[in-house]
Amino acid sequence: MKTTLEVINGMVNDGVIGKYAIGGAVGATFYLEPLATADVDIFVMLSTAPGSSLLSLTPIYDYLRTRGCQVEGERVVVGDWPVQFLPAHSALEQEALAQSVETEVEGVRTRVLRAEHLVAIALKTGRAKDYARIVQFLDQDAIDADRLKRILMRHALVDKWEKFERKYLGG
Amino acid sequence: MDKDKERRKRLTSLPFSEKLKILAKLRDRDRAIAASGLRKKKVRQAVR
Repeated sequence: MKTTLEVINGMVNDGVIGKYAIGGAVGATFYLEPLATADVDIFVMLSTAPGSSLLSLTPIYDYLRTRGCQVEGERVVVGDWPVQFLPAHSALEQEALAQSVETEVEGVRTRVLRAEHLVAIALKTGRAKDYARIVQFLDQDAIDADRLKRILMRHALVDKWEKFERKYLGG
Repeated sequence: MDKDKERRKRLTSLPFSEKLKILAKLRDRDRAIAASGLRKKKVRQAVR
């Protein structure tokens, strides 16, 4: 993971990507016990290409290809980890990125999404594995309930949370 | 059950770098199982 993060930090320094933070199962592992996963989700701020309003991952792929990284579908193998770069499209993802926390992995500086944003994004994504992860956060008392509530209210996720509670927490 | 809780608590309290080393081991084990052909068919494939 050290090599992976060094390469990604290099992309920031070279202006290929803006601010980034680790999300998904690897991000959740910052707060919980290690959660098995095959890849690393990196939420990333991208700038639009000149003359276009579209966000493109092409500069990322091009940059990494020139450094010998293999593209495998939506993922790029960086160091020894497949990485999925996820542009921060929504207001929730942009807020999550802006409020991410700094940490270090084997001496390499990086950022991780806050627990409450990981939960809100999992709720919004809504796959079975996302709901299972939310239950883990709750089981391990790893979230600030007030902070989560404010996020859910800001991003119109309260109804979805209440449905999740009724279905999975018997609330 | 208490032992399981203790184990989870201990794993949760590890430094992030240590947890990531465990993740890499879990990933490598998963790849080895996949490469060996031992993995069962996915349920959805099996019931078709």
